[in-house]
Amino acid sequence: MGISIVVTSGKGGVGKTTTTANVSTELASMGKKVCMVDLDIGLRNLDAFLGLTKRIVYDIVDVAQQRVVLSQALVRDPRFGDNLYLLAASQFSDKYVLDSNSVNTIIEYLKQRFDFVMIDCPAGIEYGFKNAVNSAEAALVVTNPEIASVSDSDRVVGILESLEMPITPHLVINRIRKNMINEGTSMKIEDIVNHLGIPLIGIIVDEDEVISSSNSGQTIVSNPESEAGRGYRNIARRMLGENVPLTLFEQPKKRGFMSRMFGRNN
Amino acid sequence: MSDVTLKGSKDGFVVVIDDKSSFDDALAQLKNMIVEQTIGTQEDNTIQFTVKTGNRLFDNEQVQQIQTVFEKYPQIQLKRIESDVILKSESDQIIENNKINLETGIIRSGQKKEYKGDVIFLGTLHEGAQITTDGTIYLLGPVQGIVQAGFPDNTNAAIVGNLNGAAQYRIADVVEIVTEDDADKFQNFKFAHIDDMHTISVEDLKDYKEVINEVRKRTE
Repeated sequence: MGISIVVTSGKGGVGKTTTTANVSTELASMGKKVCMVDLDIGLRNLDAFLGLTKRIVYDIVDVAQQRVVLSQALVRDPRFGDNLYLLAASQFSDKYVLDSNSVNTIIEYLKQRFDFVMIDCPAGIEYGFKNAVNSAEAALVVTNPEIASVSDSDRVVGILESLEMPITPHLVINRIRKNMINEGTSMKIEDIVNHLGIPLIGIIVDEDEVISSSNSGQTIVSNPESEAGRGYRNIARRMLGENVPLTLFEQPKKRGFMSRMFGRNN
Repeated sequence: MSDVTLKGSKDGFVVVIDDKSSFDDALAQLKNMIVEQTIGTQEDNTIQFTVKTGNRLFDNEQVQQIQTVFEKYPQIQLKRIESDVILKSESDQIIENNKINLETGIIRSGQKKEYKGDVIFLGTLHEGAQITTDGTIYLLGPVQGIVQAGFPDNTNAAIVGNLNGAAQYRIADVVEIVTEDDADKFQNFKFAHIDDMHTISVEDLKDYKEVINEVRKRTE
């Protein structure tokens, strides 16, 4: 029996889908059986982050409306053997075609078969959000070091706490700008953690490569050079109970100009 | 010994009904006593009576019967019926209204916590959150949201604490917005109360007792 984990944030554009994709692929490459569920109905993009868009034949709405059985709608990611699957969101329906009951039923079925069911939650705190969080036993709250994002996360944590999940929500601070931290112009990580009052499970620095790799359907965790990738790898390891120390700057080796230019080819 | 005793006091007559008597006997004796008292009195000079029931509560019907006895005679008037005891539900209500709530934890954005009575708040009030009570609020932790004391109309309520980071503080129906200029106003612990202009004043804690006593006197 697996566990269902919702990746949520309240605010849009803070990195929910990126976090879902990266943590899931890392868990899969560590040998766990993982299914990602995209609940952002009508605005699906988890599939694009993984380069799986072309493989989608059926989606979660087809399953909920019993046009196909669940196993027919699962899209396997061929890069991870039999470990990583995606249940895609529908691009043609709107979110109201799913109700909490049918989402719960689908997640329960998936938990029988997978170790981790990672739910990509839509932004906002309305209908789609409620379906997503109601079906989860744990949550990763993604936030950025900026006031709007932290404030929305605060609201979301309040809602999650009222649901009394078996595991307390954990915090992922994404898009940390190292130059702003160094200059002291960014919100401090410990201030964010103290304010939100939930355990921190990982921090991810802001890197251009996160965007460029997802544009090409690759996750950043598969790039051994990337610091953001290392951040996500550490989150996955912590989720499996490993004790990985949290250092603000999981500092990369000093690299010269040439290797920085061509570093990714090494 | 009689079930009903008449006593004089500063503010009129007091009728004590023995709480061990039967109600019917006592009522009959009360009627007789009233008749005796009203003989020879002038109608323009009303005599006020207070009825004391000791360790006994009369129900509505019994109260009605006593009132009827007095209503027959225009020269006498029933001021009130007093008892030494109250219903458990009433006392629970009094405790509920006067109890001090001790609260810890975080009140998050979008959450609104409502209380009855005074609140000692040891937790954190986040931006976009609200704490509300009909009594006084004592803040010991940082607050960034809205603090409402004396909701909806208790002008005796106060807010004690450091309101420096708060968004707004409200007492009864008066709302104050905390601006950047207020940084000095709330250096350390202060208290806010409603003054006689019905606006909110902020003062030093050393004056708390004096000011609050004055406020209570004003509204008595």
